[in-house]
Amino acid sequence: MNQDLILVINPRPIFTRVAIYQNYNVLFLKDIMHPDQDLGRFSHYLEQVNYRRDKILSELDENGICLDCIQAVVGRGGLMKPVKSGIYEVNDAIVSDLKSTEYGDDHVNLGGILAKEISTLYPSMRSFIVDPVTVDEFSELARFSGHPDFDRKSIFHTLNQKAMAKRHAKALMRKYDEMKLIVVHLGSGISVAAHCNGAVIDSNQALDGDGPFSPERTGSLPIGDVVRYCFNSGKNEAEILDMLHYNGGLFAYLGTYSALEVDSMVAKGDEKAAKVFEAMAYQVSKEIGAMYAVLNSEIDGIIITGGIANSRWFVNKIIDRVDNMGTVHVYPGVAELDSMAQVTLSALRGDEAILDYK
Amino acid sequence: MQGSYFTKKNRVKTCTNHILVINPGSTSTKVAVFQGARSMFQQDIIHSEEDLKPFEKISDQYEYRKNAIINVLKNNDIDLHCIEAVMGRGGLIKPVPAGVIEVDEKLKYDLRHSPIGEHASNLGGLIADDLAKSIKGARAFIANPVVVDEFDDIARIAGHPLFERKSIYHALNQKAIAREYAQSHSIPYEELNVIVAHMGGGITVGAHKKGKVIDVNQGLDGEGPFSPERSGHLPIGQIIDKCFSGDYTEKEVRKMVTGKGGLMAYFGTNDTREVLARSFRGDDKAKLIYDAMAYQIAKEIGAMFTVLHGDVDAILLTGGIAHGQDFTNLIRDRVHKLAPVFVYPGEDEMKALAKIGTRVLMGELKPLKY
Repeated sequence: MNQDLILVINPRPIFTRVAIYQNYNVLFLKDIMHPDQDLGRFSHYLEQVNYRRDKILSELDENGICLDCIQAVVGRGGLMKPVKSGIYEVNDAIVSDLKSTEYGDDHVNLGGILAKEISTLYPSMRSFIVDPVTVDEFSELARFSGHPDFDRKSIFHTLNQKAMAKRHAKALMRKYDEMKLIVVHLGSGISVAAHCNGAVIDSNQALDGDGPFSPERTGSLPIGDVVRYCFNSGKNEAEILDMLHYNGGLFAYLGTYSALEVDSMVAKGDEKAAKVFEAMAYQVSKEIGAMYAVLNSEIDGIIITGGIANSRWFVNKIIDRVDNMGTVHVYPGVAELDSMAQVTLSALRGDEAILDYK
Repeated sequence: MQGSYFTKKNRVKTCTNHILVINPGSTSTKVAVFQGARSMFQQDIIHSEEDLKPFEKISDQYEYRKNAIINVLKNNDIDLHCIEAVMGRGGLIKPVPAGVIEVDEKLKYDLRHSPIGEHASNLGGLIADDLAKSIKGARAFIANPVVVDEFDDIARIAGHPLFERKSIYHALNQKAIAREYAQSHSIPYEELNVIVAHMGGGITVGAHKKGKVIDVNQGLDGEGPFSPERSGHLPIGQIIDKCFSGDYTEKEVRKMVTGKGGLMAYFGTNDTREVLARSFRGDDKAKLIYDAMAYQIAKEIGAMFTVLHGDVDAILLTGGIAHGQDFTNLIRDRVHKLAPVFVYPGEDEMKALAKIGTRVLMGELKPLKY
C-alpha cells in the first residue's frame, strides 16, 4: 500500500526534530531529545550520525509508523557549495561536502547525511534536501566585502525565509516572484534578507559573518578589536569561533540561549535584560534599514518570523524603528518542516524540478 | 593673502579674533590664520618620506614639525601678536564630548601617550599649546577630535561583552557640515535629525539626533562600508581564519583593514577618480567595486535611518569623494526616499576649526576641561 509518506528531519544541537507528512498533513511530529549522557560520547556532531539515525528509526517504529511506506526522506540542507534555491536529491557529492565541513561546520550538516543514511536502508525511499543554507542568489554588488581576500557569502535561513515569504505572498494573492520584501528570521541565529522578485539579493551572513547579534551568536564585532583579540588573548581559533558562534549574543550577556526567557526577565523588570534585548532589536532594525537601501527604498512589506517573533515586546521594539518603511507582518514560528514536506511532495508529483548538485 | 598680515612695523594690537590653526596629517602639516571664517593665510607644509625617515614614532616628529611651522610663519611675515586662539586638530585620546577642549597638562599627556593608538593629529594639540605659550594672551584648544562620543548606550553593545562599539569618526567635518546645513536652513543644529556620510580616505556615516551623534560606524578599523584605504566590516569568521593562518602578523592583518584595505586592496590606488576612470575605459571590475562602495554606504545610511526611528530631516554627503557626482548619484538613487539628499563636496578642517575657535572667542561656546 502506498501511503505517500514523507519523513522530514531537522537536526538541532541537542535534539532532532522529525515529522511524518501525508500529503499536506502532519501525521506525526516529535523533537527527539539527545541528553548530555548520550552526546557526551561524541567529540563532534558528525560522529552522531548512526546514533541519531537509530534514534529516529526506533522512535518512528515505536509510534507505529510504517517505515516501508515512506516514499522520501527530506533533510534540512546544510553548508555546501553555493546553489540555486530548490530541491536536491542527496547524492555522494552532497554527503561528502557536508561531511568535509569545508563550507561550514554546523549541526545543520547532519540533515542531508541522515536523510541519505536512512534512505539507503529502504530500497524505494529517496532522499532530498531543500533550500540549503548556502542558497546563493546574491547580486554581484553584495559579494564584495572591502578586501579581495574576503568575500561576502550567502549563508542564511533560506528555507524558512522563502517559505514565509511565499506563504505571505499567497495570503495576499500575489506572486512571490513579483514582490520586494525584507524578511527577518529571528531564531538562535538571526538573518535579515532582501528578497527582490523571488531572489535573495543580499542578506547578512548569519553564521559567523555579520549583522545583528542573536541568542547564541555575536553577529558583527569591530574588526580591529577581533584581530587584536586573536593575536593577544591566548585563546585558540576553535575557542574564539565557538565564542562567536555558540557562546555570543544573549547567552554571553545574560547566560541563557532562550530569547523567550529573556522576554520574561524583561517582563519582571530586569533592567540589564531589557537593555540587551533592546540592543538586539536595535541591531535587527539597523539591518532592516540597510536592506531597505539594497531594495532602493521600494518594498512591498517587512516580514518578521522565527521563534523570537513570539515576543511581542521584542517585535514592537523593531516596529517602532521601521514602521515608516513599509507594512510589518509578523508570522511567529518557523515553516521549515511544512515547506520541506510541500516541496518534496511537489517534486515527487513532478510539479517541481529536482535539481542536481555537482 | 591679505596684506594686513605682512606688516613688519611695530604697531599696537588693533587686530582681534585672529586664530592660528594647526592640522598635522600623516604626510603634511596644514597651517592657517583665520579671522572668523575668513582665511587670511594658509599653507600646507609637505613632509617627504625622506623628511620623516629619521623618526621612529610619530611623537618624535614634534620638534621637527613645530620648527617647520615656525619657519613658515616667519618666512611669510605672519604677525603673531594678533592671534588669540591656537586651534590644534585633536587626536586619539580618551572619549570626549563634542565641542572644544582647552589644552592642559592632562590632555598633553594623553596626546603624547595615546590610549588607543598613534596618529599625526595628536601633534596638533601639543604644537598648538607650545605656540600659544609664546604669544601673549593666546590660548590653545583642540576641537571635535575623532573620539567625540555622544553614543546612546544602546549603540555601545556589540554582541559580546568582551567587545564594545566605540565612537570613532570624522567628528570635525561631520559636525561642521551638519551645522552648515542647519544654518542655511535656519534651524538650530540641536533641533535637527540628520544623517551625515563623510567620504574620504575613511568613511563614516553618523546619525545626528538633535545635535548629538548617537550612532556611527567605527570608521577606523572596524565597521561599515569599505573606503579608499580601509576595508570596513569584514566577515568575522574569515578574519579569524586569517589571523590564525600563520601567514600574517597582527600588523599585517591590521594593515589589510586600515591603510591597505578597500580600493587600495582591490586596485592599488586610493584615488576614487582613478577607479572611475578605469570603469569608463571598460574595466568591469572597477565599475562593480566603485558601485559596491556606494552600495555599502547606502546600506549604512539605511541602518542609521532606523537609529533615528525614520525621523530624518536630511541626508548630507560630504568629504573628498562627494566631489564625484556619479558616485553621489549612486547613493542618492538608493536613499532619496528616506530624506532629501544634499551634497557638500570636500572637507575643510581648517575652516571648521577656525569657526569653532571664533565661537569660543565670541563667548558662544564654552571650552571644556579634558
